Amino acid sequence: MNLSLVLGQVLNGVVTGMLYALMGVGLSLILGILNLPNFAHGTLYALGAYLLFATATWAGSFWLALLVAPLGVALLGAVIELGGMRRLYAAGHDYQLLLTFGLALILEQVIILIWGPIGMSLLPPRGLGGAVDLGVTFYPRYRLFAMLAAGLLILATWLFLEKTRLGAIIRAGIEDKDMVAVLGVNVSRVFTLTFALGAWLAGVAGALMVPIRGLTPTMGADILGIAFVVVALGGLGNLPGAMLAGIIIGLAQSLVALVWPVASIVVIFAVMAVVLLLRPQGLFGTR
Amino acid sequence: MGFRVLLPLLAACLLFPLLLRNTIATEIWIFAILALAFNLLLGYTGLLSFGQATFSGIACYVAGLLLKHYGLSLPVVMVAGVLAGALSAGVVGAFCIQRVGLYFIMLTFAFNQMAYFIAYQWTDLTGGEDGLPGVPRPPGLEGGLAFYAFTAGCFLITVAFMKRITDSPFGLVLQAIRENEGRAAAVGYDVKRYKWLAFTIAGAVSGLGGVLYAMLFGIVPLAAVHWLRSGDIVFMTLIGGSGSLYGPIIGAAVYTVLAESVSRYWDRWPILLGLAFVVVVLFFRGGCVEAWERIATAGWRRRRSP
Repeated sequence: MNLSLVLGQVLNGVVTGMLYALMGVGLSLILGILNLPNFAHGTLYALGAYLLFATATWAGSFWLALLVAPLGVALLGAVIELGGMRRLYAAGHDYQLLLTFGLALILEQVIILIWGPIGMSLLPPRGLGGAVDLGVTFYPRYRLFAMLAAGLLILATWLFLEKTRLGAIIRAGIEDKDMVAVLGVNVSRVFTLTFALGAWLAGVAGALMVPIRGLTPTMGADILGIAFVVVALGGLGNLPGAMLAGIIIGLAQSLVALVWPVASIVVIFAVMAVVLLLRPQGLFGTR
Repeated sequence: MGFRVLLPLLAACLLFPLLLRNTIATEIWIFAILALAFNLLLGYTGLLSFGQATFSGIACYVAGLLLKHYGLSLPVVMVAGVLAGALSAGVVGAFCIQRVGLYFIMLTFAFNQMAYFIAYQWTDLTGGEDGLPGVPRPPGLEGGLAFYAFTAGCFLITVAFMKRITDSPFGLVLQAIRENEGRAAAVGYDVKRYKWLAFTIAGAVSGLGGVLYAMLFGIVPLAAVHWLRSGDIVFMTLIGGSGSLYGPIIGAAVYTVLAESVSRYWDRWPILLGLAFVVVVLFFRGGCVEAWERIATAGWRRRRSP
């Protein structure tokens, strides 16, 4: 095993870890403020990927698709919140779970109906093809772009939450939404917005992942557990926590893939178990 | 336990093979066992586990492997399967009960995915996507009707066992935890220990369901440990109604018959399943039992009023 191989895998781990984190951040906001188990989050990610594929092949522009696809997912997120989720805030987690799980089933089957059950792939856009010489190893240019884009988006989301008035309302809502409502904030509009934002982040993560992993109809269900792990380790509404958790499991996955490829997905859950054993409340969690 | 509880179920056990195909009738009682196990968690302890297929699935593989490669006798396989269910639930539960609410749900699901991916990747042992075919039924149970009778018997024993547990002081503590966890702890109960015990017992009963499932079709499919199965179990329990002993049983019967009749005609039938989830959640919360009670009380009132 040589150095360039190991370095390549470390970079792979950080790239996928950042995308996991991006997805986890969106989920974390939705769970934090809406307090419901969103089992449709994985499918929103898958939908972002398929919409990117459809737009990119139809319009011929990856960049346009990268802009449009996540917006489509955000729109769907808003519709889901307004049309169904809204009526369930007072219900138990069991019914909320069933609704989001039902939506996930429907969307996954719709994806199969439209694009077929077989996996597909898409090349990176022109200008991001090929590899960069990093001295020790050559690394695909697109992956570096995806890592950078995910990092910037997480930073932007963090700034939005920390520095803007709306962000402050969302953070306050995660702590105590009744109090926020009492203070005169239109909480239901904040709910819709948060759901759309979370869906948008999932859509971006899915779209960015396409040139790296390709598309399969089950990609959403497959990544849902990983997003849950990111949130369980990082803590609800905790962005640095989600980022650290994402990178840790991304690295674990790609480094284990070097020595024992078949165990590379299972190791994510093993990491989760170990962290929970040492710190039951998660990396930064307080609850 | 009174006859009033068991008698209708016994009647159903005798009636179903006359009305339904044998495998469907058998499947109903297997799913009813799984739903009853899950309802000890959801209905009585307030724990929403989205990972019950982990335990029934592992037991299913254990039973399948023991029957296929070692040809062990029925009691040994049953005990091994139940132990496998209890043991896996004991380990997973020890992690999951550390957290509450959404975290608990997510962790049970994450462990379910872990079990699924292990089964998917470890093809030498499990056959991966192709499943584990060629599981023989133990002598005496080869016939469809004999196996049905055996499954129905296991189901009735499970009902009696569950009733015994939920009526016991232990069961009352579980319900106290469901109603108010903080107060149960304040009175002096070790809430985490009780939750863990409930989780492990539910795992053992799910293990029983898993063993029966392995013998039903002679194959352990990968779907046995898939999280979709966990979702099915949640759905059955909720459409039946999680508030009663009968609810999950009725839900299992309704779900199995519907799923079987629809899936035969359309490959994409999970769309309908998803739509059913959404419709039930938005319009029929409370499940069949509550809907029936509402209709019944309405009729009763009408008769009483002059």
